[in-house]
Amino acid sequence: MTTTSPNPTSNAAGPLLWWKRNRKLILPPLFGIAGFLLAWQLSASLGLTRLPGPLSLFTEQRTRELLLYPFYDRGGLDKGLFWQTMASLGRVAQGYFLAAVVGISAGIAVGLNKTLNRAFDPLFQFLRMVAPLAWVPIALVIFQKNQPAAIFVIFITAVWPILINTAEGVRQIPQDYHNVALVLQMSKKTFFTKVLIPSALPYIFTGLRISIGLAWLAIIAAEIVMSGIVGIGFFIWDAYQQNYVSDIVLAVIWIGGIGLLLDRLMAWIQSRISPGQ
Amino acid sequence: MTALVDVQNLEKNFPLTGGGNYLALKGIDLEIRKGEFISLIGHSGCGKSTLLNMIAGLDLPTSGTVLLEGETVKRPGPDKMVVFQNYSLLPWLTVRQNIALAIEEVMPDLGKAEQDALIEEHMEMVGLTQAATKLPAQLSGGMRQRVSIARALAIKPKLLLLDEPFGALDALTRGNLQEKLMQICNEHELTAVMVTHDVDEAVLLSDRIVMLTNGPGSKIGGILEVDIPRPRQRLTVVHHPSYYSLRSEIIYFLNRQKRVKQWQARPHKVLARHGLEKVNLDLGFIPLAACAPLAVAEAKGFFTKHGLDDVQLVRETSWRGVVDGLVDKTLDAAMMPSGMPTWMTAGGHGSEPLPIVSSLTISRNGNEVTLAKRLAEQGVSTVEDYRAWLGSHEREPHRIGIVHPASMHNLLLRYWLAANGIDPDKDVHLQTLPPAQMLADLKDGSIDGYCIGEPWNFRAASSSHGVPIVGDLEIWSGHPGKVLGAREDWAQSYPNTYIALTKALLEACRYCADPAHWAEMSELLSDRRYLGIKADLIRFSGQQGDSGSFAPHGEPHHLFYGAGLNRPSRSEHLWILTQLARWAEIPFPRNYVEILERVCSVGVFSTAARELGLDDVSYQRQGIELFDGRPFNPEDPIGYLNDVSLHRDFSVAEIPIGQPRAISV
Repeated sequence: MTTTSPNPTSNAAGPLLWWKRNRKLILPPLFGIAGFLLAWQLSASLGLTRLPGPLSLFTEQRTRELLLYPFYDRGGLDKGLFWQTMASLGRVAQGYFLAAVVGISAGIAVGLNKTLNRAFDPLFQFLRMVAPLAWVPIALVIFQKNQPAAIFVIFITAVWPILINTAEGVRQIPQDYHNVALVLQMSKKTFFTKVLIPSALPYIFTGLRISIGLAWLAIIAAEIVMSGIVGIGFFIWDAYQQNYVSDIVLAVIWIGGIGLLLDRLMAWIQSRISPGQ
Repeated sequence: MTALVDVQNLEKNFPLTGGGNYLALKGIDLEIRKGEFISLIGHSGCGKSTLLNMIAGLDLPTSGTVLLEGETVKRPGPDKMVVFQNYSLLPWLTVRQNIALAIEEVMPDLGKAEQDALIEEHMEMVGLTQAATKLPAQLSGGMRQRVSIARALAIKPKLLLLDEPFGALDALTRGNLQEKLMQICNEHELTAVMVTHDVDEAVLLSDRIVMLTNGPGSKIGGILEVDIPRPRQRLTVVHHPSYYSLRSEIIYFLNRQKRVKQWQARPHKVLARHGLEKVNLDLGFIPLAACAPLAVAEAKGFFTKHGLDDVQLVRETSWRGVVDGLVDKTLDAAMMPSGMPTWMTAGGHGSEPLPIVSSLTISRNGNEVTLAKRLAEQGVSTVEDYRAWLGSHEREPHRIGIVHPASMHNLLLRYWLAANGIDPDKDVHLQTLPPAQMLADLKDGSIDGYCIGEPWNFRAASSSHGVPIVGDLEIWSGHPGKVLGAREDWAQSYPNTYIALTKALLEACRYCADPAHWAEMSELLSDRRYLGIKADLIRFSGQQGDSGSFAPHGEPHHLFYGAGLNRPSRSEHLWILTQLARWAEIPFPRNYVEILERVCSVGVFSTAARELGLDDVSYQRQGIELFDGRPFNPEDPIGYLNDVSLHRDFSVAEIPIGQPRAISV
């Protein structure tokens, strides 16, 4: 796990050369992570903190099972981490989709119309600053049920960056493109599909990418306080209640990994859809 | 030819962020005929793009209207297509898609096949068929602009509007695209308006060039007709005689605008000191040997001696600059040709009569007629030879350069030609050119010769491009050359300054007349601030007041000072008036006595001479008699005019010049 020694078995020039070129990029992060894990493990072993060290993921039997068998399903809430994650991702997908639809449409409206922008911009800026956790009780009051409330919390957290970036993207359409549209007397539909969307696309994607991270943050907040649902957030809360601290550590690693994957995924889509912009 | 576009009394205000308004354009009237190519030229910020946008309908005027085929332009549309400076192609569409988008939007009723044919035709027209599937980012600037032009032409606009279309391109690409555009315009008889600040581009492409003055409140400062026949080729256009005069006209205009702007940027407080009303003066001059007294007065401190602490000599490139400087009051006074005070007072400069006063004749003589070497090689050495040569070369145009219609060069040359049986308007064509351009034109053969002051005759002779044929001593020895001139309202406002200026220059004239100083003067004038040529090309010599013997051809012979030489003479100015009227530059003023009385500040001169203790120079000169011996009777100028054998149809009219007034504050 903490090994940092490279494998210099190959005497072919190719890999060796590759290593020589890239070792400055590879070695520092490896050393960094290894050092962090070592310090953590030491502080746990020496009893400086009650938090179990990284080795506890293997030493604790419950945690080792969770780590090695993410796909088990014993019914009820007792499911492997993969299923927990999938349930959370499902909620994120719904809330995020809703946020994207609402955010892009409202963003275009606000971006095109100065009066609308003046009317709503202060409100958006205000609501944007409210933490996801603060929305949870409000969502529960509104919807009375866990599932729609969780989706709402994701939606309300994710919608602002999409909306604000889309509006900015529409405002940033160069005057030249507007002039071209005016001179050609383009129809609304053509303007929308041939000018507005392509021009604002990079901004929209920036918003979408920021939001996917926020949405994933929000799901944990939402699930932690909503008891009795399958999901990685509630899994953490449940583990804390039962004092399975190493389970929490494992779940946190999952959450971080998934968040990173989602961000990479959005970046990849962005690079595919609007290349070079 | 009907007007396709009619711009009527257009005005545009822009609200400023700090409150208030910026008046960009004011009182713009312009008619554009069908099939015409118009250029709008002017300095940055003069509102030429704003004007174009208003014709396009992208911007609406604050007042006034733009009519396209009789209908008010209220919004942009494909009938007035714009080619933008930065191409404005949609970067996510290919070349083909960009053109297709325009066609599909503007001509939706056309069948798919016809649309495709149009796209192909226009891609081929600009030579971009190969690049059809490329994105704009993959193209060079020139190619992008070609796409933009193809897109504009594909939708068959009535009017093509181009906003500095080639401004961002390198010279080679720009040249190729200009030719391409010209060719397309010719083939399709397009009507186009182009904004540019490239003078050569404007001359090459346009039928008319509209010059805009500086903002705020820019207006049309002038419209030039480009009479170069089409189709035009870049290489042949530059040899057309109109090319350089158009070019210099535009450059003069732009420089004038710049100078006015610089002048406006400086503070203009009237500094009163030493009992003088104004000691900070801008004096206009032209780099000629005759400007020696001004240079000497500056270098030898005569201005300061008489209390004028802050005199700036403003070098103009042509006499027109002096006229405009006095009209728009950027100059306080100027050295000017002796015909100019009466000419401007009579309104010869084309606007309202502007009373000009003159208190000093700065120089006399110093002019000569030079003919091109090629004429001398064909045996032309006298005026009789020239007349015969003209008769045998009737078909070619014969141009002789002059510096200004109101200069003595023009009047003496005309007098001399007419007296020798050559009609100065019918047999030859007298063309106004900036002095510095004469030699170049003589070299390339676009003029037969010129009449001008030193050092230009000596330069032509010493570089053997021209041969002097007659000197002014042989036409009218001792004729007035350059005089000091100022606006009458200026002289009324600053009477003591006027006297001090006259004193300083009169003293400088006396200095210049001393042969001991001539070498020093040549050295002084060779400085970049004045003539900027080698000192040995600037020569002073001559027979002081001795009109008995002529200086040999090519010898300068200025008179700067002497008995009766410097005092402004009413009879001389009257002779000038008769000559200006003879050639129909101005009507002969019925109120000529009043005009002469106002123009000649004899009192100022007398005061100046008396205060300097130079009473001897006030001596009145003899009557006027030129080489042909015809007497001039100042009592009967109209009789004299009727008596000369050759003259245009002149008129006699009252010239309203009002009462003498000071500058109104």
